Amino acid sequence: MMTASILSSFTSFVSPAMVSDASGDHGGNASAHLANMVEHVGIGPKWVLLIVFLPLLGFVLNAIYAATSNKTKLPAWTTIALLAASFIATLAMFLSYEGTPYTVHAFDWFNLHYGDKSFVANFSFYVDKLTILWMLFVTGLATLIALYASEYMSHDIGAGYCRFFAAFGLFVFSMSCLVMGDNMLMLYLGWEGVGLCSYLLIGYFYKKPSAVAAAKKAFIVNRIGDLGLALGIYLTFVHFGTIQYAELFANETLHNYINAAAVGDFSGIPGEAQWIALLLMIGAFGKSAQFPLYVWLPDAMEGPTPVSALIHAATMVTAGVYLIARFYPVFLISENALPIVAWIGTITAFLAATIGMAQFDIKRIMAYSTVSQLGYMFAALGMLSTTGAAFHVLTHAFFKALLFLACGAVMHGFAGQLDLRKLSGVAWMKGWGIVGVTMLIGCMNLAGLPYITSGFYSKDMILAEAFITPGYRLIGWILVITAIMTAYYTFRVFFRVFLGEQHAEPGEDFHGDDKSDFHPHAPGWAVNTVLITLATCSMLAISLAYIDKAEHHGWVGSMVAESTASFHSPYAGAVYAAHGGGELHAVAGPVGHAAPGTVLGMDAHKGMILVSGLGAIFGVFVAAYFHGPKGWQGLFVGGRTEAGKCRMDAVAKRMGPIPRMAENKWYVDEFYAMVLVTPLRVIAHVFHWIDKLLLDGLVNLVGFLPRVFAWIIRPSQSGVLQGYAVSMVGGLAILLFVVLVVVMRAGGVA
Amino acid sequence: MEQIISPIALYLICALGAAGVALALPRKGLAHTKDKAFQYGGAVIVASAFGFAALLMGLKASDAGNPMPNLFFYPFAFVAIGASVRMITHKRPVYSALYFIMTIIASCGMYILLSAEFMAFALVIIYAGAILITYLFVIMLATQAPTSDNEDDLTDVDAVAREPMLATAIGFVMVGLITAAMFGGIGELSSPKMTQAQAQNSVLAYLPKKVDKILDRAGLLEDGWAVSRDLDTGMAVMDPDARTIQIELAGKDDHGDDTVLATRTLTSEDWPEALAADNLDRLGFNLLNDHPIMIEVAGIILLMAMLGATVLARKHTELEDALKAAQARKLGTMFHDDGEPSGGQA
Amino acid sequence: MMHAFETLQLAQLAFPAEMNNSVLAPYLFVSAAMFCIGLIGFMTRKNMIIMFLCTELMFQAAGLSLIAFGRHHLGSDGQTFVIFVLTVAAAEAAMALALVVLLFRHRESLSASAWKELNG
Repeated sequence: MMTASILSSFTSFVSPAMVSDASGDHGGNASAHLANMVEHVGIGPKWVLLIVFLPLLGFVLNAIYAATSNKTKLPAWTTIALLAASFIATLAMFLSYEGTPYTVHAFDWFNLHYGDKSFVANFSFYVDKLTILWMLFVTGLATLIALYASEYMSHDIGAGYCRFFAAFGLFVFSMSCLVMGDNMLMLYLGWEGVGLCSYLLIGYFYKKPSAVAAAKKAFIVNRIGDLGLALGIYLTFVHFGTIQYAELFANETLHNYINAAAVGDFSGIPGEAQWIALLLMIGAFGKSAQFPLYVWLPDAMEGPTPVSALIHAATMVTAGVYLIARFYPVFLISENALPIVAWIGTITAFLAATIGMAQFDIKRIMAYSTVSQLGYMFAALGMLSTTGAAFHVLTHAFFKALLFLACGAVMHGFAGQLDLRKLSGVAWMKGWGIVGVTMLIGCMNLAGLPYITSGFYSKDMILAEAFITPGYRLIGWILVITAIMTAYYTFRVFFRVFLGEQHAEPGEDFHGDDKSDFHPHAPGWAVNTVLITLATCSMLAISLAYIDKAEHHGWVGSMVAESTASFHSPYAGAVYAAHGGGELHAVAGPVGHAAPGTVLGMDAHKGMILVSGLGAIFGVFVAAYFHGPKGWQGLFVGGRTEAGKCRMDAVAKRMGPIPRMAENKWYVDEFYAMVLVTPLRVIAHVFHWIDKLLLDGLVNLVGFLPRVFAWIIRPSQSGVLQGYAVSMVGGLAILLFVVLVVVMRAGGVA
Repeated sequence: MEQIISPIALYLICALGAAGVALALPRKGLAHTKDKAFQYGGAVIVASAFGFAALLMGLKASDAGNPMPNLFFYPFAFVAIGASVRMITHKRPVYSALYFIMTIIASCGMYILLSAEFMAFALVIIYAGAILITYLFVIMLATQAPTSDNEDDLTDVDAVAREPMLATAIGFVMVGLITAAMFGGIGELSSPKMTQAQAQNSVLAYLPKKVDKILDRAGLLEDGWAVSRDLDTGMAVMDPDARTIQIELAGKDDHGDDTVLATRTLTSEDWPEALAADNLDRLGFNLLNDHPIMIEVAGIILLMAMLGATVLARKHTELEDALKAAQARKLGTMFHDDGEPSGGQA
Repeated sequence: MMHAFETLQLAQLAFPAEMNNSVLAPYLFVSAAMFCIGLIGFMTRKNMIIMFLCTELMFQAAGLSLIAFGRHHLGSDGQTFVIFVLTVAAAEAAMALALVVLLFRHRESLSASAWKELNG
C-alpha cells in the first residue's frame, strides 16, 4: 500500500514532465548544470587545509594536556582558539570562493592503479558552495559551543576536561573530513569519526550506566546505517569505477542516467545504480535519526549538554542531509529513493512530535523535536527541495543549539533538574533573564511564528514545497499538523519552566541535605555570551530568506544552486515566476512548467504563510491555555498557579492510556527489544554455546589430546636408568624383528 | 637356520631360559634356602637350556656330516652362561664380580678353542686381573659389607630386581631375534679369501730374519747364505703356497762392492716344519701394519679416561669458613677501597 | 675323551683348517645368550656397579663373536678388534667407577633410582 502510493506519487510527478519535456528544450539536457558544476574543478589554496587540521591539532594538544594531567582551563581556551581560527579560515574560504569548485590535496592515501582501472581516494578536500555552507555553521557553532562548554564543563576540570575537549576537537576534524572530503572514502572516514566521537561524548560520564548504555545504543544503531553507507560506496565504485566526487559527477554514465530519469524513463538505469541511492539513504537514516533508526538520539542526551547541542542537534545529525544533498545526482537516478526519503521524513517528523508532546524531560523534548525537525529536512529532500532542506538545516542548527544550550544552562544551574513539572518561573529569577529571553527566541523559531523568526521561513519553504509538488499533498497536511504540535510542545516547555510563579527543586546532582536550602547558580558570562550570539544569529538568519530571494529562494538557495546538489522543484520556481520574482531557474529541472499545487485554493507560498503561521500561533495559544500561568504571562488564557499542576493533567486523564503510551515513546524501544534484540540475544546465546561447546571443545580437544598422550607416556620418563634401558632394548627388539621379517624375507636370505 | 637348529626348538629354549632367569632374579620375602635354590636352580636351568641348544646344533651338524665344535666347547659354554646368570642374579655385588671373572675365564677357554690364545690370556690378565679388581675395590669402597649371611642386611638396591618379568621377556626375545638373524644369514658368509697356507704363512715373507733363523736352525743354510730379499720392499723371496724359498750367498765383487755371488731355491721337500707364522705373529702384524691409527686413538681414549677418572673421583676440598671470610674480606678491600659502605658487605 | 684332547691340540696345530658354519653357530649362540643376559642384568638390577658389570658382560659377548668370526675368516682382524674392545672397556670402567664413586658420595646410595629427579 505504502509502496504503491510512493510509486504513484513519484510517477504522477514525473509523468507530466515526460509529456511536456519530451520534445522541449530541456530534454536530454537535465544534467547540463551538473556537468557545468564539475567541468572546471580547480586546485585550491593550501591554507584551506587549516580548516581541517586545526581541530586535529586541538585534539593532539588536548591529548598531551591529558597525559600531563592539566588542571587548568587551558584545554578549553586552546580548543576555542583553534576552532575560532578554523572558523576564520572557513570564512576566508567563503569570501575567496570564485564560483568554481576546487580540490585541495593534503597527501596521497589510496592511489592504486591496475590495468586501465584505478582506485584513488586521497586525503584531499573538495570545496564548493555546499561544502562552504556546511563548514560555516559547523566551525562557527563548534567555536561558540566550545566557549559555552568551557564554563559548562568547568566542574570537571582536571578530571575529564581534557578528554572532553580532545573528543570535541576530534569531532570537528571528523566532521570537516565528512563535509570537505573529495571522495566517498574521506566521507566515510569522517562519518565513522563523528560516530566515534559521538560515542565517546555520549559516554562521557562513563561511570553512569545509563550513559554507557546510551553510548552503546547510539554506536550500534549507527552501525546499521553505516553498513548501508559502506555498501553504497562499494556499489558506487563497482558501478561507476570511481569514488571521487569530481570524477563521479562528471561521469558520462551518470549523466545519461540523469537525462533518462528526467524524462521518467528508469527502465534504462540498471538496478545496481538505483540501489546506490537506497543504500546511501540507509546510512543517512542512521546518522540523522530517521524513523526506524531514530531511537538512539533521545538517549544520546545522556551526554553533556554542549555535546547534545553541537553533535546531536546542530551538526552531526545533519550529516545525513548533507549526504543526500551531496549525492543528489545519484538519488535522482533512483526511482524509489526520494519518495521513500520524503515519506520516512514525514513519518519521523510526526511520530517524534507526538512523543515530544508527552515528555517531561526538557532535554528529551528538545531531542524529539530535533528528530522531528530532521524529518522535515528529509521530507524536503524527498520533495526535490535541497534548498529547503539546507535552509532548515542552517536555521535549525542555530535555534536548536540555542534551545539546547538554554536547557543546559537550566540543568547546570538547578543541579541536573530537567523535569518541567519541578521548575517554574525561571526567567524571573535573579541572573536568569538572558537565558529566559534567548530561550523565548529559540522557542519562537522552533514554533515558527510567522515573519519574525527564521524557523518560519525555512519551514514554510518545506511546507509550501509539499503542496506545490504534485502527489505530496498528504505529506504537506501531516507536516502542517506536526508544525502545530511543534509549537505546542515547544511553548509547553517555555510556559512551564520559564514563566509563572518562581519555583525550583534541585535535581539529582544536588548533594546538600536540605532541598529547601537550594540556591540555583546563574550562568556566567561565557554561557550568556554564547546564548546571546546564537539568539542574534537565529534572528539574523531571517535576512537570509530575503537575500537573492527572487533568483534562488534566498541566500541558502543561491549557495545550493552553485553546487552539485542544486536541484529544487521547478514548481517552486513557477510560483516565484508567478510572483514576478524573476525567470524560472531551471537548474537541471527534469520537469517543465506543470501547474503548481495550491493550499486551500491559494497560491502555495501565500497560503502557507497563512496556514502555518496561524497554526503556529494556534499551537502557542493551546500551550498557553493548558500550561501557561495565570495572567499576561499565560497570554491571558493560562490558568496555572502551581509549578506541578496544569489544565493538561485533567485532559490527559480523560485521554486514557494514550498520553502514557506517548510518554513511553509508543513502546518503540520495547518493540525493538522484542522483535530484534531478544531474538538476536537468543541466537547469540545459541551460537555462544555452539562456540563454547563445539568449537572450543574441538580446540580444547586438540590441546587435550597431547596432554592425554603425555599423561600416558609420562611415566616412561621416570628418570630411572633401567626404564630407559627397557625401552631402548624393546625398540631394538622391534627393529630387529622388522629387519628379520621384512628385509631378510624380502631378500630371500632366510 | 633350518640347517643349524629347528626354530621351534630355539624359541622353546629361549622361553625356558627366560623362565630360568626370571626364577633366579633377586626378590624379597623368600626363605633363605628357597631363595638359594631358586638362584642356583635358575642359573642351572638357563645354562642347561643353552647347553642343550648347543648340543642340538651339534647333533644336527653330525647328522648332516658336518663337523662339530670341539667337545671342550660344551663345558665352557655351560660355565660361561651359568656364571653370567649367577652374576646378574646374585644379591651381593662382590659375588657378582667374582662370577664375572668366572665367565671371563670360561670365555677365555672358548678363545683358545678358536685359536686365539694370545687374546685369551690377555683377557684374563686385563679383565680378571685389572678391571675386575678395580670393580672389587669400588664395590668394597661403596658398600657396607654385611657381617653375616643375614639377607636382611641387604638394601633393596641389591635385593630386589626391577621389573624382572618385562626385562627377562624382552631380553630373551632379543636372544631369539639375534640368533635367528645370525643363523638366517650364516649361510651367506663368504669363505676365507685366502688359501690356508696363505692365511698361515703369507706373513712370513714380511719377516725375513725369522725365516733366516728357522732355516739356520733347521740346518738348511750354510755360512754366508741367507734368504733372498726383494730389493724394493725388503720382503723375503718365497712362495708360501708352493712352499719354495729362494736363498742367496752375499759377497763382494772385484771392486769391493756388495753383490750376490750365488742363488738357490729350497723346494717344498726342504720346507722345515717349524717354518710357520704363529698366532702372535699374525696378530701383531695385523695390529701394527693394518690399524696403526687405531692404536693411537685407543691410546688417547685411555689417557682421557685416566684424566677423567682422576677429575671425577677427586674429593672436593672444603675451605674453612674462616679462610673463606678472610678471602672475601681481601676481595672486598680490593674492589671497594674507596670506602663505600658496601665494601664490607662480603 | 682322548679324541677330545686330540682335537684340542689340533685346534692349535690344525689352525689353517677352514671353520664350518656348524662350528661357528654354537659360538655365536653362546655370544648372543651372554649379551642378552647382560642386557637383562642392566635392565633389572638397581645397583649401578652391577649395571656397569653387565655392560662389561655385553662387551665380553661381543668379543666372543668377534673372535669367532675372525676365526671363520682366517684373519686376525677379529682379535685386533677385541683389543680395542678391551681398551674401551677399560676406559669405560675407569670413568664409570669414578662416576659411581662421585654419585655415591652425593647420595650415600648406589641405586640408580636415587638420581631419578634428573628426568627433567
